[in-house]
Amino acid sequence: MKVDHYLLKAEAIDKRFPGVHALENVDFDLMASEVHVLLGENGAGKSTLMKIFSGTHLKDSGRIFLQGEEVELENPHHARELGIGMVYQELSLITSLSVAENIYLGRLPKHPTGTVHWAKLYEDTENLFRDFDVHVDPKQRVRSLGMAERQLVEIAKALSINVRILLLDEPTSALSGEERERLFDIIRQLQKRDVGIVYVSHRLDEVPHIGQRVTVLRDGKKMGTLNVRESEEGMLIKMMVGRELKDQFPKETVKIGNEILRIENLSSGGKLNDIHLSLREGEILAISGLMGAGRTEFARALFGIDKIESGSIYIDNREVSISSPWDAIGLGLGYLTENRRDGLVPRLHVSANITLASLRRLGSFGFLKRRHERSLSERFIRELNIHTSGVHQKVEFLSGGNQQKVALAKWICSHARIMIFDEPTRGIDVGSKTEVFRLMSQLVKQGVGIIMISSELPEVMAIADRILVMCRGSITAELKRGEATQEDILRYAVIGGE
Amino acid sequence: MGRTSNGERNAGETVSVLTRMMRSINVRNFGWATLLRGGPIIALLLLVLYFSLASPHFASIDNVKNIGQQNAYLIILAVGQTMVIIGAGIDLSVGAVMAVSASIMAVLATQEITLMGTTFGPINVWIAMFAGFLVGTIAGTINGLVIAKGRIPDFVATLGMMEAARGVALLVTGGLPIPSHLTATELKGYLPDPIIWMGGKEFLGIPTGPLIAFIMVGIGWLILSQTVLGRSIFAIGGNKEASRVSGLKVDRIKIATYTIMGMMGAVAGIVLTGRMNSANALMATGVELKCIAAVVIGGTNLFGGEGSIIGSLIGAIIMGVLGNGLNLLNVSAFWQRVVMGIVIVAVVIFDQWRRRKFGI
Repeated sequence: MKVDHYLLKAEAIDKRFPGVHALENVDFDLMASEVHVLLGENGAGKSTLMKIFSGTHLKDSGRIFLQGEEVELENPHHARELGIGMVYQELSLITSLSVAENIYLGRLPKHPTGTVHWAKLYEDTENLFRDFDVHVDPKQRVRSLGMAERQLVEIAKALSINVRILLLDEPTSALSGEERERLFDIIRQLQKRDVGIVYVSHRLDEVPHIGQRVTVLRDGKKMGTLNVRESEEGMLIKMMVGRELKDQFPKETVKIGNEILRIENLSSGGKLNDIHLSLREGEILAISGLMGAGRTEFARALFGIDKIESGSIYIDNREVSISSPWDAIGLGLGYLTENRRDGLVPRLHVSANITLASLRRLGSFGFLKRRHERSLSERFIRELNIHTSGVHQKVEFLSGGNQQKVALAKWICSHARIMIFDEPTRGIDVGSKTEVFRLMSQLVKQGVGIIMISSELPEVMAIADRILVMCRGSITAELKRGEATQEDILRYAVIGGE
Repeated sequence: MGRTSNGERNAGETVSVLTRMMRSINVRNFGWATLLRGGPIIALLLLVLYFSLASPHFASIDNVKNIGQQNAYLIILAVGQTMVIIGAGIDLSVGAVMAVSASIMAVLATQEITLMGTTFGPINVWIAMFAGFLVGTIAGTINGLVIAKGRIPDFVATLGMMEAARGVALLVTGGLPIPSHLTATELKGYLPDPIIWMGGKEFLGIPTGPLIAFIMVGIGWLILSQTVLGRSIFAIGGNKEASRVSGLKVDRIKIATYTIMGMMGAVAGIVLTGRMNSANALMATGVELKCIAAVVIGGTNLFGGEGSIIGSLIGAIIMGVLGNGLNLLNVSAFWQRVVMGIVIVAVVIFDQWRRRKFGI
């Protein structure tokens, strides 16, 4: 009999949810000190497989072996005891507690009297951080940390129980390039300690950076496992979507028209300094930069959510004042937020979400024109190809890509002519991304001007007519389409102007 | 065994026929489709069935009128509270607002008042009623303003109003029931007829309290399901930040919601005063929790964004039927409260289980 050198081996895992066959006969294995990337579109079953490994979901059938020994994972606690740690996509930290409390939640060190041994708690946390060269104050409240630091705390939490297997569910979706590198360093350190890592991702470009093997799932089925060295992007995409995405980022030539938006000397709260910008009809203007460079702050200020301290905004060459989203929408602005949860009302149905920014148009003497609303929503569901059981489906039950389309439909419905898209492709699958870009193309053809804030450099370079780079609240470069390389953009984003 | 499964199939068929009927007459927006799917209405039907069998008096016309008359004020409050809770708020001041509206109305309608040297009154009963209505409305608006502009939790603002409004009611009445034999002028121990009519008479055979309550239910339903304001309340309760970004004037909508709640409180106060032929500063103590219970039994999400007026109506009727039925069965008032507590929790547990199970 062959010695089993697999850390984790799963055979013929099957899982059904009401109406969905989430996993069909999936095999998976993981070796010690390996990073095994799990790729797939949204709904391919990646997260379900992860949750079975972490004990959150129970498999319907199939077998799981840990170092050659068959195990039945009963619950997350059981999985943790067996050395399987999971970092969830939705961060699960309690923001009002300190970093150290979060890491040792549920197993805080205690004095013999039963009270918490604070000194030991902080010391343990610091030791843990020192091991991985993380610089976060254990006493700090999680609330005051940025996304990247929170992610590190979350990983530290998983590591604090001496894991043999670490499951990472889209750990970089909220991280900037630099922060991602930090995370990769930590992953490499873990590899040296023989930890096996399953790494779920949407981002194809990460695969060669971090993985040794890659497994692709599609519609709950395993499409294959490859050595990263033998795989190339086109092939992986083909496996994920079942067809070659030749025009992954379609860019059509559109006539650029008159200037519709001009911003002069915009400053606000030390987060934005002296921003100048102009946008024309039919133009896609990308704003690139690291997290915290002030891109979202700029969008919020322009849209009237946050106060502007100084500066002028001109729309169609007329100076306007925007002090609330109500004003902004009235002037033809739309704002697709960075976080979908800030843009949608999940417990409301599709139709109500689509018309939410157009209510002033849909009222007559305070009453809703329900028939008009219905026909509008049906039109957008059809035109944007939103997969829903109907206008009365609650948005919370839609997939990420379809939620994003609903959010987009809301601004098309409100007749926005100047649209701000903040990370429009974050957390949605390749197919939906292409559709979002197709919709952007359609919009600019109709004369809409788009400001697209994005950290995805290949997307920015493929779709934007002009690229502005922001660094520490200022615009540090303006680059034309085809003029910039990814390295250029990154340089301006990291070090600023010189 | 065979008989059981047969019975189940019949029940299933009946339900599906009912559902189809409801669809065919297109009352989807009415909230019935949601209701038929379970929860509160089943609990109500079971209660009615049980009490009808257990007590010969329960199902009599007089008793049904009586239940309606006794609980009209609760239904009216539940209408306002439903809107507040759907908007992710909560109003603890409704009982106190009822008392202050009713007290001011009753004092104006029965007593001589000396203000800044001039003595007048008792004033015209209709003006007095309008004044009471206005007081409740203003109290609601103040609640909304404090919450929206002061940026403090709804719970705290309305807790403050609860105390302050009781205080004003005590000041106005001097702690006496109104009308009082000591101060009431020509009417002595009675309130003017129009007020009594509001809560204790019949109109075309229908008791007036429930009649007013059902009008309020209609208004509430209209606002929530047919108007821009109603949609905005749902949106703000579901996601305040997204609503703000979508251009809703969050503060104004909050203020409007509480103002409507205040109006409902005032109407409830007038109806209850009419039924009891008396107003006093300590009336309707504890009703805030009772009407919140009715709203929650009716399936409205305490965290906002989901709910229906019709659900709350049924919730309030459940509470009323339970109180009345237990009285008829001679259950002691002390035990009634125990049962009431258990029923509130049981109905909500059942409702949650149903949602998890059927994902509605």
